[in-house]
Amino acid sequence: MTDVLKNTLLFAAVGTLILLTGLMQSWNSALLILNMGLISAIMALGVNLQWGFAGLFNVGVMGFVALGGLGVVLTSVDPVGEAWAAGGIRVIIGLLAGAGTIVGAALVYQNLPAGRSRNLLLILVLLGGFFLYRAIFDPGVAAVETVNPAGTGFLGGLGLPVLLAWPIGGLLAAGAAWLIGKTALGLRSDYLAIATLGIAEIVIAVMKNEDWLARGVKNVVGLPRPVPYEIDLQQSASFVSRAEGLGIDPVTASTLYVKLGYAALFATVLLIIFLMAQAALKSPWGRMMRAIRDNEVAAEAMGKDVTRRHLHIFVLGSAVCGIAGAMMTTLDGQLTPGTYQPLRYTFLVWVMVIVGGSGNNLGAVLGGFLIWFLWVQVEPIGLWLMEMITIGMAEDNGLRQHLIDSAAHMRLLTMGVILLVVLRFSPRGLIPEK
Amino acid sequence: MSNGDYGDRGNKDASIANPRGSGEMRPSGGTGKEMNTHSAFLVGDSMTGGYGKSGPDILHDCTVAVDPGEIAVIVGPNGAGKSTAMKAVFGMLDLRQGSVRLDGEDITNLSPQDRVVKGMGFVPQTSNIFTSMTVEENLEMGAFIRRDDFTETMAQVYDLFPILREKRNQPAGELSGGQRQQVAVGRALMTKPKVLMLDEPTAGVSPIVMDELFDRIIEVSRTGIPILMVEQNARQALEIADKGYVLVQGRNAYTGTGKDLLADPEVRKSFLGG
Amino acid sequence: MDFLNAIVALSNFVLIPAIAYGSQLALGALGVTLIYGILRFSNFAHGDTMAFGAMIAVMVTWWFQSMGLNFGPLPTALLALPFAILGTMVLVLITDRMVYKFYREQKAKPVILVIVSMGVMFIMNGLVRFIIGPNDQKFADGERFIISVRDFKAMTGLKEGLAIKTTQGITVVVAVICVALLFWFLNRTRTGKSMRAYSDNEDLALLSGINPERVVMYTWLIVAALATTAGVLYGLDKSFKPFVYFQLLLPIFASAIVGGLGSPVGAIAGGFVIAFSEVTITYAWKKVLVYLMPESLEPDGLVQLLSTDYKFAVSFVILIVVLLFKPTGLFKGKSV
Repeated sequence: MTDVLKNTLLFAAVGTLILLTGLMQSWNSALLILNMGLISAIMALGVNLQWGFAGLFNVGVMGFVALGGLGVVLTSVDPVGEAWAAGGIRVIIGLLAGAGTIVGAALVYQNLPAGRSRNLLLILVLLGGFFLYRAIFDPGVAAVETVNPAGTGFLGGLGLPVLLAWPIGGLLAAGAAWLIGKTALGLRSDYLAIATLGIAEIVIAVMKNEDWLARGVKNVVGLPRPVPYEIDLQQSASFVSRAEGLGIDPVTASTLYVKLGYAALFATVLLIIFLMAQAALKSPWGRMMRAIRDNEVAAEAMGKDVTRRHLHIFVLGSAVCGIAGAMMTTLDGQLTPGTYQPLRYTFLVWVMVIVGGSGNNLGAVLGGFLIWFLWVQVEPIGLWLMEMITIGMAEDNGLRQHLIDSAAHMRLLTMGVILLVVLRFSPRGLIPEK
Repeated sequence: MSNGDYGDRGNKDASIANPRGSGEMRPSGGTGKEMNTHSAFLVGDSMTGGYGKSGPDILHDCTVAVDPGEIAVIVGPNGAGKSTAMKAVFGMLDLRQGSVRLDGEDITNLSPQDRVVKGMGFVPQTSNIFTSMTVEENLEMGAFIRRDDFTETMAQVYDLFPILREKRNQPAGELSGGQRQQVAVGRALMTKPKVLMLDEPTAGVSPIVMDELFDRIIEVSRTGIPILMVEQNARQALEIADKGYVLVQGRNAYTGTGKDLLADPEVRKSFLGG
Repeated sequence: MDFLNAIVALSNFVLIPAIAYGSQLALGALGVTLIYGILRFSNFAHGDTMAFGAMIAVMVTWWFQSMGLNFGPLPTALLALPFAILGTMVLVLITDRMVYKFYREQKAKPVILVIVSMGVMFIMNGLVRFIIGPNDQKFADGERFIISVRDFKAMTGLKEGLAIKTTQGITVVVAVICVALLFWFLNRTRTGKSMRAYSDNEDLALLSGINPERVVMYTWLIVAALATTAGVLYGLDKSFKPFVYFQLLLPIFASAIVGGLGSPVGAIAGGFVIAFSEVTITYAWKKVLVYLMPESLEPDGLVQLLSTDYKFAVSFVILIVVLLFKPTGLFKGKSV
C-alpha cells in the first residue's frame, strides 16, 4: 500500500510541476511539456523494455526515433506523381539491385567452399553489384530530385491518414532493429552498443542526404495532422461561441484545444503501450526474459535460445521508440533531419530510464515526464540563476554577459548531475523494480 | 541481480564492458576477538565462517597449521571446504570465530594484500598467472612489493624451474599447463615468502606432470619454506605430506602425519578408495 | 609523368589526410582502449574529455597570443599543450575521485560504469559549452604549409601539386612521439608493467601487492594526456568545435574495437584502418584516374564510391566486417 501511495505522490508531484508551469508561465507551455512528456514516456518505455527487462544496451535510440519520423513522411504525404514518373521506378529498381547484391554476396559466402575462388567471386559480386546499383540508382535519383526542387524534389509518401503513420513508423524502426540485432547479437560476443551507436548515425546520414526520400536537410514541412487546424477552429462560429462562453479568447482557445487533442491521442497510445508492457512483463514470456537476464547460463541450460529472445525484445523496444518518433514528428508537423542529436534523443532517454527506475514501466513513464520537464525548465531557471548571481555586476560586464549567454548550456550539465546523483544515492531509480 | 544495486542486468556487451580480468576477490573483516588453541608457524585456528556477512557457515571450528620445513596438506571429498579453509587463512572468508596467526603475530584482521606483505605467498587454483605477460614479467610482478634487487631470487626460481629460464621471454599464456603452474609458484616465491600456500596446484595436469610438480614442491620445501596446500589427489599428496588434514563438511575429521593418515583404515576406506 | 602525377594526386588527397586523421583516431582510440583494459568499461565521456583538453589549449593559446608569445613557424597551441594536459589531468582525477571511485568500491559491474560515464559526458559537454560556447574557434597560427602546392609544382615541374599542412606534419610527429613514449612506459617501466598486470588479472595483481588505486590514477593521467593531445591535434588540423568531438566518438570506438579492445597496438592499427577506409571510399577518384587511364576510358563521373556524409557508415561497415571474421578484433589476446 505504501508503494502505491509513494508512486501516486511522485506522479502527483510531476503533475503539480506541470500545473505550476501553466499557472506561472502559460497553459500553452504546460501543454507542450505535457505532450512531449507523453512522447518521452513512450521512448523511455521502449528503452526500459531493452535495458530493464533484458539488459540490452541500446545507444541508438535516436536512429529509431528518426525512422519513426521518416515513417510519417512516407505514410501521410501525398505521392509526388511527377517525381514517380521521372525516376521513381528507377530508384526502386536501383534499391532492389543493391539489396540483391548483398543477398547474392551472402549466398556466395554461405554456399561455396572457403577458398580463393569464393573470395574472388565474392569481390566480383560486390563490385559488380555496387556499380550496377549506382548505374541504375543515380540517374533515377537525379531525375527525382530535379522535379521542383524548391517544393518537392522527392517521391512523397503514400497519402494515407497520418494516424496510420505511427504503427508504420514503429514497423520501420522494428525492421532496422531486426537487421542490426541479427548482425550484432549474432556475433560471437555481443557488440550491440557500438552497432546501435553506428546505425543511428547512419540513419541520420541517410535522412540528411537522400533528398529523393524525404528532402534531406531541406526538410518536409506541413505534414498532415490528426487534429484540426487552429485557423479552422477560429473561423468556426460554434467553436468561437463556446470559447467565449468559457471566457477564453478564441485564438488561445484554439491552440489549447489542438494541444489537448494531441494530448488525448498521445495519452491513449501511452496507455496502450504501457498496459501491453505490463502484461508482457507479467506473462510467462516476461518472466522468462527476466530469468534470462538474471541467470543467462541457467536459462540456456534449460534450452532457451537466449539470442533469439534478445532479438525479440530488442525489436519490440525499438519499435516502441519508432512509434514515439512518429508521434513526435506528427506533433512538430515537420521532419527536420538536421535536428536529431544523440545527446537529446539517445542519452536523454537513458537518463529518463535510469532516473525513473530501470526495469519498472511505471518508473520509465515517471522518468519520461520528470526529465522532460526539467530539460525544458532548466533553461529559464538557469537564466534566472545567472541573473541573480550577476546582479551586482555592471550591465556591460564581460563575465556577466558570458554567464547569461551561457545559461542555455546549463541543461546538459544539469542532466549529467541528475543522472549521477540518482545513480549514486538511489541506484534503482525513483520507482525501483519489484 | 548480482552486485546489489550495481549489477549488469545480464548484459554481455563486449563493446562497452570488458569481460576479462575483473577482480572477484573481496577482502573480509576479522572476528574482533582472539582465539588461541594451537601454536605453529602459520595457523588458522578454530575457524568458523562463510562468504559474506550473512552467508551460511562453510567452515566449522576448523584448524590447519604448518611449521617450517614442513608440507601440510588439506584433503577431503568434494565440497568439504578444502579451498575455503585455504581462503580463510588468506583472509578471503568472513570469519565469525577463530584467528589466523603467522609467526606468532595475529593477522586475522589483515586484508589479503597486507598478508602478502607480511610474508604469505599464495597461488590460487585458477587464473594464477598473467597470461599476456612474459614469464620474466610474471616473476617481476611477483616481486612488485620488493624495492631491493631481486635478480638473485629470480635466479633461484630459474634454478628451481629450469624450463622457465628457457621460456623467459615467451608470454606465459602460451605455456603448457604444468609450465603455467611453475610460473604461478615461481611468481609467489619472488616475494621470498615466509610461507607458501598452494590451492590445488595439480588440478587439470596429466599424471606425469603431476609427479614432476610434486617433486618441485618438495624441492621448494627443502629450501626451508613451509608449504600449506590443498590437494584433490589425496593419496599422492599425503605421501609427500608431513602433516595431513582431512576435512569433511568444513570440520576437521582426521589429522595426523601423512604416513599415519595413509595407514589409517578409516581414512583409507572413506577417502582413498580402500 | 602521368603516373607520377597520379601518385602525387593520390598522396595529396588520400594518403596524407588519411595518415593525419589516422594518427588522431589512433591517439583517441588508445585512450579508450586503456580505460577499457584497466577500468573495464567504454568511456562515453572520452570525446568530451578531448574537447575539454582542446578547449584549455585554445584558451591558453589565446592568452599566449595576447602576450605576443609564439612558437615561430609552429602553432602556439603546441606551447599550450602541456598546460592543457595538466588541466585535463586535474579534471579527470577530480572526476575519478568524486564519481568513479565510489563504484569501484561497490564492485559495480562495468555496464554501470558505462552509464556513469554518460553522466560525466553530459557534464563535460555542458562545461565546455558553458565556458567556450558551442561555436567554431580558430586557434591555429604559424606557417600554414610545410610544402605548398605552388612550391611543390615549382620544385618538381609536375602538373599535380602536393601540399603538406604544418598541422598534418605536427600531427604525425607528435603522435609518433606519444605512441613511442606510451609503449616504452607500458613495456619497460615498473609502473607500466603493473598496469598491464592489473589489466590482465586484477586479483593476481592485488596478490602481487600492486595498488589498484595507483594503477587507476596512472591510467587516468595517461588517458588525459592522450585525449588532450588528440583533441588539440584534431582541432589544429580541422577546427575546434565542441560537438565535433562528440561525433568523433563513433570512429574512435570503431578504431578501438576493430583493433581489438584493450590492445594498444590494435588501437593504432584500428585508427589507421578506419581513417584510410573513410578517406578512400569517400574520395572522388577521378583526379587520380585521369592520369592512369587512356583518354578514351576516362571516367565522366567523379568516381566517388560514397558521398563524404557517409563516412560514419564506412567506419561502421568496416567494424561489422572485421567482427564477422575476427570477433576479437585484429589484435586479440594482448591486453593493456
